[in-house]
Amino acid sequence: MQTRWDVGEPERPTINEETEQLKSDLLTLNMGPQHPATHGVLRIEIWTDSEIVAHAIPHLGYLHRCMEKHAENLDFRGVIPFVDRLDYLASMNMEWTYVAAIEKMLGTEVPRRGELLRIMTAELQRIASHLMAFGTYALDLGAFTPFLYAFEEREKILRLFEEVSGARLLYNYIWIGGVWNDWTDEQLERVSQFCDTMEIEAKKYHELVSMNKIFVQRTANVGVFTLDDCFSYGASGPVLRGSGLKWDLRKVAPYSLYPEFDFDIPVGEGEVGVVGDCWNRYYVRMKEVVESIKIIRQVLNKLEAGPVMGKVPKVIKLPKGEVYMRHECPRGELAFHLVSEGDSKKPYRLKVKSPCFTHVSMLPHVAPGQMIADFVATVGSIDIVLGEVDR
Amino acid sequence: MSTAVHQTSSVKDYFKGLFNGVTTTFKGMWITFKYVWAVKPVSIEYPEVREVLPERARMRLFNDAQNCISCTQCAMACPVDCIYITSEKLPENAEIKKTSNGQAIRLKLTQFTIDTALCCYCGLCTTVCPTECLTHSHDYEFSQYTIDAMKYDYLAPDVRAWRDRIVKV
Repeated sequence: MQTRWDVGEPERPTINEETEQLKSDLLTLNMGPQHPATHGVLRIEIWTDSEIVAHAIPHLGYLHRCMEKHAENLDFRGVIPFVDRLDYLASMNMEWTYVAAIEKMLGTEVPRRGELLRIMTAELQRIASHLMAFGTYALDLGAFTPFLYAFEEREKILRLFEEVSGARLLYNYIWIGGVWNDWTDEQLERVSQFCDTMEIEAKKYHELVSMNKIFVQRTANVGVFTLDDCFSYGASGPVLRGSGLKWDLRKVAPYSLYPEFDFDIPVGEGEVGVVGDCWNRYYVRMKEVVESIKIIRQVLNKLEAGPVMGKVPKVIKLPKGEVYMRHECPRGELAFHLVSEGDSKKPYRLKVKSPCFTHVSMLPHVAPGQMIADFVATVGSIDIVLGEVDR
Repeated sequence: MSTAVHQTSSVKDYFKGLFNGVTTTFKGMWITFKYVWAVKPVSIEYPEVREVLPERARMRLFNDAQNCISCTQCAMACPVDCIYITSEKLPENAEIKKTSNGQAIRLKLTQFTIDTALCCYCGLCTTVCPTECLTHSHDYEFSQYTIDAMKYDYLAPDVRAWRDRIVKV
């Protein structure tokens, strides 16, 4: 298989008589870093040939906070607030991945209720993240109203998280050994109510956006990532599933209590357009919301009273060794590579494998030949969060 | 390189697409139109109407200096090092006071300052506090004109007045 990452930059037109005549209309355009369509501080340098994108170069680093280096100077509990700030739209999933890596090294047993609550919060967070993706994607394509509807539902989840953890976005809720606070029956009842309303809302969203002719025309057959591209770049999550591969870590490499649950992996089937285009990536996310609701309902049935925190030493010291922990996050496969020197209170190295980073690197491959408006649709459809790309 | 997919189109397809466009647009507009009378507004007008914060909400930190035993566990747990504590030994024949939960205060607290501009509101400091004197208050409106003013000294006399006004007991 031919790898595509060595595409390289094309030659910038030099100023001599011949090329000046040929490429005089190749215009360099900066999209970002404060452009509303780039989902954060991403700057994309686009070389445009009138309306056609000739080449796109993403420039990263505007949100680089040295998170990996910071982690080397903090104790294991102190890293959790930093991990929250990676993907700030899916903090619960970030925390859980990091904490699971430490628990694997420590050999901590998490109580069943704690583990079930983790699954529930992670799935609620997945719904919140996909709602955000849905709203902002519609916003990118010029529809303002779906954004408000999505935020109305997302607000219900954030309110629940605020009541249970104390913060709306950066929770520090999942701790080493379990979760911080228990959910009351009243809150669990509200989760169940939310599942009922969300199912109705999801149908409304499909009627409002997914099947809308204008939306379909903007997204179907646009920005096609073939399965071959996805393999060579290392894509994961909805981008990979949108291209038609049934790959979800919750099923193929099950962690936690996921084997107990009954759910499907939605893949892009090309109902509209071709498999791997923007519409299919978007539609996979919307179908995943319904699958998450299924999982949450099963968690609510399985929950029994019990402790939520396991036994953890007061000062955490990891044995010498390393661990690679990967979880399925809303944006794809997130992994932490944790190296411990042994008998140390701090990680020796904490490497983050970010799904969005690989997805951003796919943009230069798909951009040439697209219209600028289609390129905006492509950037929106991979649903990047720059906090995770730059770290 | 992406390639545009060209589909064969006929007159029938053209009108089918046109009809599809009109119907789906009206479907969407009907959903939006229902919000005019059938759905209650969920937004609140902030300065006039305020949402009641949940009990666990983590806002500005507050230290009840009378109960503090200067153990510096909060400063050690803080991931951003925004808590500054200094203390000195009590004189030999000084009376040893006790906190509200019965722990002896063996050190004299001379400085307890939190740089709120640095604070990341993670809540780790409040969980390690043995006397539960460091807590998150529900005060979220404390913007200042200078960044130095964000450093709050919890031994200052006006802090207690601030607490009586805002902190839920």
